[in-house]
Amino acid sequence: MINNKKYDVIVIGAGPSGVSSAVNCAKKGLKVLIVDLNSNSGGQIYRAPPKTYKSISKKLEENEIQKKLSEEIKKFKIETAYNHTVWQVSPGFKVNAFNETSTIQWQSKSLIIATGTYEKIIPFEGWTIPGVIGLAACTVILKAHHFIPSKKIILAGNGPLLMLVAYYVIKFGGKIDAIIDTSSKKDWIKSTFSLMTNPKNFRDGIKWVFKIFLNRIPVYSNSTIEKAFEVDEGINVKIRNLKTGKAKNIISETIAIGHGLIPSTDITRLLRAEHIYDEQKGGWIAKVDRFLRSSVNGVYLAGDGAGISGALAASDKGLLASWALLYDEKIISQKDFNQNTYKILKKLDKYEVFAKAISQLNFTPKKLIENIDNNTVICRCEDVTKSEILTAVDRGARDINQIKSWTRLGMGPCQGRTCQYAVSKIVAEYLNCEIDNLGYLTGRSPIRPVPLDKVLGDFDYEKITKVEAAPL
Amino acid sequence: MKQTDVAIIGGGINGGSTGLELAKNGLNVSIIDKNLICRGASGVNAGTLTMHMTRAQLIPYAKKGWELWMNTSEWLSKEIDVEKKNGLCLAFTENEEKLLIERSKIRNEYGADISIISKKEAQRIDPNINSSIKCAAFCEMDGYVSANQTGSAYSKALKENNVKILENYDVSEIDYDKNKYVIIFKNGEKLIASSLILATGVNLEKTLKLLQINIKIKCLPQQLIVSERMPTIMDTVITVANGKLSLKQFNNGTVLIGGGWPGVGNIEDNYTETKPENLIGNMMLACHAIPRLKSSRVARVWLGLEAETDDAMPIIGEIPNYENAYVIGSIHSGYTSGPYMGKLLAKKILGKNIDLSLFDIKRFL
Repeated sequence: MINNKKYDVIVIGAGPSGVSSAVNCAKKGLKVLIVDLNSNSGGQIYRAPPKTYKSISKKLEENEIQKKLSEEIKKFKIETAYNHTVWQVSPGFKVNAFNETSTIQWQSKSLIIATGTYEKIIPFEGWTIPGVIGLAACTVILKAHHFIPSKKIILAGNGPLLMLVAYYVIKFGGKIDAIIDTSSKKDWIKSTFSLMTNPKNFRDGIKWVFKIFLNRIPVYSNSTIEKAFEVDEGINVKIRNLKTGKAKNIISETIAIGHGLIPSTDITRLLRAEHIYDEQKGGWIAKVDRFLRSSVNGVYLAGDGAGISGALAASDKGLLASWALLYDEKIISQKDFNQNTYKILKKLDKYEVFAKAISQLNFTPKKLIENIDNNTVICRCEDVTKSEILTAVDRGARDINQIKSWTRLGMGPCQGRTCQYAVSKIVAEYLNCEIDNLGYLTGRSPIRPVPLDKVLGDFDYEKITKVEAAPL
Repeated sequence: MKQTDVAIIGGGINGGSTGLELAKNGLNVSIIDKNLICRGASGVNAGTLTMHMTRAQLIPYAKKGWELWMNTSEWLSKEIDVEKKNGLCLAFTENEEKLLIERSKIRNEYGADISIISKKEAQRIDPNINSSIKCAAFCEMDGYVSANQTGSAYSKALKENNVKILENYDVSEIDYDKNKYVIIFKNGEKLIASSLILATGVNLEKTLKLLQINIKIKCLPQQLIVSERMPTIMDTVITVANGKLSLKQFNNGTVLIGGGWPGVGNIEDNYTETKPENLIGNMMLACHAIPRLKSSRVARVWLGLEAETDDAMPIIGEIPNYENAYVIGSIHSGYTSGPYMGKLLAKKILGKNIDLSLFDIKRFL
């Protein structure tokens, strides 16, 4: 089970940022391992199609970037561990992972964490019924798998993902019954200038919006899904305008909903790194310096894990983190370090303008939180409702870990990844306090559920390590 | 300056139970915790209420504690999940069989009602157990509490009985002056109390030093493992002969694996870390006992810090050389006995004739 192979650097996450940092370290002669739970490099945005998709994969637009990442990994002889899910990281550093057949442990001097983000969903009554999926998940289905989730679909939430998903659904022949956006048209217009700082993405955006316009898709601004329930024809969706209070019902087959992205902090929380709350950067994030060093020596954050700046900035952030690592390890001089990082920092400043505009489009309106019905399940792993959370608060729980303990929220397989943002918003709103004061969920291993049969394999009773018997 | 009759330092189950009983008898009680109420071992332990793992000498107390737990609506709160279950302690080898018979016999001498049963009988009681067992010990007095709800339940009961709860109050000094205790907090505030109770669990060594009492309290970082929710795979509380496994399935479907397999941790910076080889050992033992468990996934692992004295017996009672100062802690299987131990100490403080000589702190001085 334990392999204990040693590396100079382990990079967790093989998206553009992880790969660029791994390549940079390998170029300087470091022994690098890159780990990812997917079957290839590319991360979420440049996700490789499934291996069985040979013919379709040729047609995929962004395949070129993914191919380049793959080639670089090969060229610089970086060891890879695809299909490996990391479930435990401990100081030192020891990284534990499992794949289809077994578990493995590697060791390294430094860690680059490039685990990206996961999607943010503000719950509504009925968000846990079949047929409701995440907007980002929908992107994966569309872009990497070339599927539409169903013939008819409602897209809801906020931010540019709404437009991107709409574009692909139309392109692949699906019908969009409605786009329900918590932002207003004015919010979109206001962000135009900032979005133009990134011409490529801006052009894409225009292309998406144009397609939506041409296909006369009904767009409901300032609105949210208040309730969804199953009916014979599919799902009955109740839309509420948060400004006017007007409601409307639409029947569709699938809902794809998302309110932006949340940086993944599983590993940094496990390593007890310092974290700060930054709404614009996606919520709780690991505290990093300008060069993406975390508060734990030897741990660096590449990509969106220490705050969202988007796919275009990803590889530069990976480079930045790796330059910091190379300098700390005395592999490059102060002069080289300054030269190499100067340009990257300037470039990243530019991306920040774009990221800020995106973040404003993903703003969570107060009304959206207030509008959540008391009986709505917030933690879907443990079926904890909004009213149960507020009861714990009424009883004196003030820290999110105390609320967790009293209600079981965040104790299930997702460990609060899905509900922590919404819970924090609900409680902060209720107590009229800052989210910082509530704290964040303590990181607990395993960061992904571990199948016992894989960890344990076949064993004989006699071989179980014995610990000292309890006193009588 | 604030005043109180009784100041209890440590808001876990020991301090909470003592405080609750004192408050019910009319005393003005303040409970002080450097963190949050029941966020230490009291809130993160496995919640097992078994005689099979209790130290023989503590059986009479554990039995009383078990009865209290089965009646929480009367003295604590309706809102804490407690389940009575049958307890099976399994022996897989001949050596373990010998150990099980010997240990059960001694526990019975102290008042437990444990019987040794055949493999067939054990399988009738819970068909899910491994069919390779040699024999089992059976006890009806078993079960579990959802320990995560401890803080919520105690907090509610204490407030209803007008106990003042001071959370995030870290004590820096205790002055003893004219039969009064002046407790000085790190935030500069002070509290004056006529009586003092120290119930700081794993921090007792440090807290006792504030009264110039030096004894050793070991800190045992214990690991706990919980599965995802799954269909019913067992219907008893399972333990093993050498006492290193506790296993049960909660009503929500999660299976909790405990038994005191150590991880890494210390009280200085409240740091804990899992020890993968011990997690694996603990999981293997659990899967060996209930083979179907192997099809589940581990959702979470956490650690709690357990306090233990050099002889692994509690320290409960008066603190020598001080008037009206008491200590309660290091109770082995303390979650089971805690409520009763707290009640006993409260009765003693209220002037009842209670014999706590078995737990006298003087044996270490």
